[in-house]
Formats: sequence, structure tokens, C-alpha cells
Amino acid sequence: MLVVALLLAWEISARSGLVRSANWPPFSAVVVALVRGIANGELVAVVGSSLWRMLQGYVLGSAIGIAVGIALAMVRPVRYTLLPAIELLRPIPITAVIPPLIFVLGLEDRLKIFCIAFSVFFPIALNTMAGVASVDPIYEQVAKTFGVPSPAMLRRVIIPAAMPMIFAGLRTGVAIALIVTVISEMIAGQQGIGYYLMSMEFAMRATDMYAVIILLTLVAYAINRGFVAWEAQIIRWARTRDFAGT
Amino acid sequence: MTAGEALQIDSITKTFGSGVGQVEAIASFSLDVEAGEFLSIVGPSGCGKSTLLQIVAGLMPPTSGRVLLGGRDVTGEPAHMVYLFQQYAKSLLPWMTVEANVGFGFEHRGKFTPEQARVRCREYLDMVGLGDVAHRYPWQLSGGMQQRVAIARALSAQPRVLLLDEPFSSVDALTRLELHALILELWEKQQFTAILVTHDVDEAVFLADRVAMLTQRPATLFGVMETELPRPRRPVETNELPRFLEVRHRLLGHLLAKGTGTHDGP
Repeated sequence: MLVVALLLAWEISARSGLVRSANWPPFSAVVVALVRGIANGELVAVVGSSLWRMLQGYVLGSAIGIAVGIALAMVRPVRYTLLPAIELLRPIPITAVIPPLIFVLGLEDRLKIFCIAFSVFFPIALNTMAGVASVDPIYEQVAKTFGVPSPAMLRRVIIPAAMPMIFAGLRTGVAIALIVTVISEMIAGQQGIGYYLMSMEFAMRATDMYAVIILLTLVAYAINRGFVAWEAQIIRWARTRDFAGT
Repeated sequence: MTAGEALQIDSITKTFGSGVGQVEAIASFSLDVEAGEFLSIVGPSGCGKSTLLQIVAGLMPPTSGRVLLGGRDVTGEPAHMVYLFQQYAKSLLPWMTVEANVGFGFEHRGKFTPEQARVRCREYLDMVGLGDVAHRYPWQLSGGMQQRVAIARALSAQPRVLLLDEPFSSVDALTRLELHALILELWEKQQFTAILVTHDVDEAVFLADRVAMLTQRPATLFGVMETELPRPRRPVETNELPRFLEVRHRLLGHLLAKGTGTHDGP
């Protein structure tokens, strides 16, 4: 409802001449640009290439994050050697190191994939560590009394028990991945949403700029909803149990 | 059918920590448990009963001494023994359905096709009267039902020795009587050796063939008493037998005297 009202206000403010600027096109014009962009495939290609990079970086960063998080929680020497380094690297805003990284990785996809993976790594690794560390020791005793060997312990007991925390990290990671994707494309772009936005800005094509922003919003919303549904599927037991109050 | 096996607990000691903060929990405990018997262990709270049982189960290493199952050293290797936890609500794995929890009890004890596993899960769930909740999650069940699932899971592993760590202490009185009847029925049917740790004297006497009494920390064996009560045990009649009251009297006398060795034994 509020969204509709705001969009209406946008339309009226632009049409009525309340805001008189070439950079403030009416909403309807943006929708037209959006539909045209999708129809001729231009925007689809732009968003698609961004999403593909985002997915690669996210999967890479998550996989390493989960593996390192488990190692941090379970292997004390790993914790002692790695955790201080992680705490040191974590506050670095990725945007600040993109320019020097260009020297090393170039302007290509691997730079952006690295930035995305690097940024999602921290919340996922730290949440996984916290989740694994807080697994109730009684679960391991139960597994022991039923003869579960140590390698299976991780798969059958520790990871499932830590799943709610791992997912909390993964969810944070999705939002971060999207931001870093767009920003890294803006700074070191040749394609993708971030690059497109910058190009349209320089070309003073405000309508196309807003069109891609709206598409990005819709895609981000869809990703988030999809993720929440997936999460609910996997850790249904944890959610429902909280509501059941036991 | 897996018959129970004899268990020898041989000079177990357990000390926690070291130096000034060192706590001696168990000071040399030895006891022979006969194959297929139901043994209760009672002692003042905090005397190290659970520690003792966890050592027997191989969940915790003793400081010295050893546990022999059927004549073989099994310390640290809990094969053929299953430990039934006091906190049943926490011991069931919350991300698994009731059926999967029961399946967890035996999946590492052998190779099963999914169909075989399902049949065996059903068999044990039916045994505890819970065949109709197989696809629910543990936290959707009442406390008594959760403990039944835990019992089904423990027995599905077909243990030679079942170790019970106050498993009936956190359910209401009526449910406790039902669980007593259930565990006795299953014990008679499956013929495993049962060792129950409890601070409830009535429970210890009602269920057991023999009751072992522990001293205060550091725990040692104060004495063992034959209950000599007829089976099957009945919740009302058995508890009113003169022999029941006599055994109960002596055990309580020991516990109230704190078992510091001022008595001459049972």
C-alpha cells in the first residue's frame, strides 16, 4: 500500500512539474524503459551477468566460510592462528582495497568474484564457528553411545545442529554479496548492473538508470524470498520448535 | 534376541582436575554385574553415580581401573552398551523425526536397507506404544512420550547392557510408574543387562534384583543388597510387601546416615 502511494507520488511529482528536472522522469516512463530493456534483452543481459558473478562469489565464499568456521570451532590450533588474522581483516571495507586489488587481479571477473567471496566469508565463517561451538555436548555423547564414528559425527550431528546459525550467516551473506557485486562493478566495471548504472549516469539517461534500479530491487526481493523459503525448508525444526516454546 | 552380558567393573577411580582444585569423584569402585540382571545403584546426590555410569558406558575415561564386558576390556569402546540419558528432551535429536531418531540408534551398528531400517524402527516404536507418531518431531511430544522414544531408540541398538542414568526423574509420578512397567516388560522380553543409577530408593528397589549403595564423594561401594522380591513386579502390590519395606528401610537408613562408614554395612 505504502509502495503504491510512493510510486504514485513519484508519478505526480514528475508529471505536474513540481520537480522540473531531466533527471526526474515519471515512473511510467521508467516502466516503459524497463519493459523495453527486458524485451530487447539489454537489461536481462546486464542483470544476468551480475547475478552470475554474484552466485560464483557467494558460493565460493560460503563454502570456504563454512569449512573454515567448522575448523575454527573444532580445532584449537586453527582457532589460535587464524582467528586474530580474521579479526584484523574483517573490518576492512572491501571498497577500499578494490583499487590495489586491480593491480593484482585485473579488471576481470575474478576481481569481482574475489571481492564478493571475501566479503561473504566473514559473517558465514564466524556464524558457523559460533554455531558449531554451541552444539550441545549431549548430542555428541548420544552419537557416541550409538557407535557413530568420528567422521560421521560431523555430518550426522554437528552440522545439522549448527544449521540454524550457519543459515543466519548465509542470509547475511546474501545481502552483502548483492551490495559488493554492484559496488565492485561500479569501481572496476566492464559489465553488469554497477557498470550499467555508472554508464547511464554519465550518459544522463536517468530513465534507464531507474529502470535497472527497479529491476535490481525486484531481483533482490525475489532472491531474499527464495532464500527464506529454502531456509524454512531446511531448518523447519528449529523455527517451529521456538514457536512451540519447548 | 541379544542376551545380556556380564560386566565387571574393576577398581575404577576418577579424579577431576589437578593440583589444588583436584576433586576425587570415585575412589576405587569394583562390582561384578551378572548377565541379564537388573542392578540399581543408589547414593547421596552428588556422590558420583552418573560419573560412574558414564565411565562404564565408555563416554568418559576412568583415571585408573577398567571395565570388562563378557571378559573383554571395553573401556572407551562402547559397543553393545547403550546409555539412556537423564535429559531425554535434549538427548533426542531435534532435527530428526521420531522415526529417524530411532533409526539413529542402530544405523551405525550394521548395514540396513531403507526398508529394513523402517521395519525395525516401527517394531521398536510399536514396542513402546508410539507407532502412530513416527513422523512427528520429538518436541511435538509430551515428556513421557519423548522418554519412550529415547527408550525405543536405545533398545533398537539391541544392547547387551543398558545403562539408565536417572531416566525417570523428570517425568510426573504417574508417567514414571508407566515407564517403570514398560522398562521391566522390555527387559524381560529382550533380556539385556540393566544398570540403573537413581536417587529414588523406591524406584531402585521396585525395579532391581540387587541394589548397590554408594558412599558419599569420593564414591566407593558401601554394600550390595538383594531385593529378593517376586517378579513380575506390580506397582501397588510389590511396594506393600514386607520385604519391600524392609529393603527400603535399610537403604534409606544408609542414605540418611550419609553413608560415611559409621554403619557396618547392610
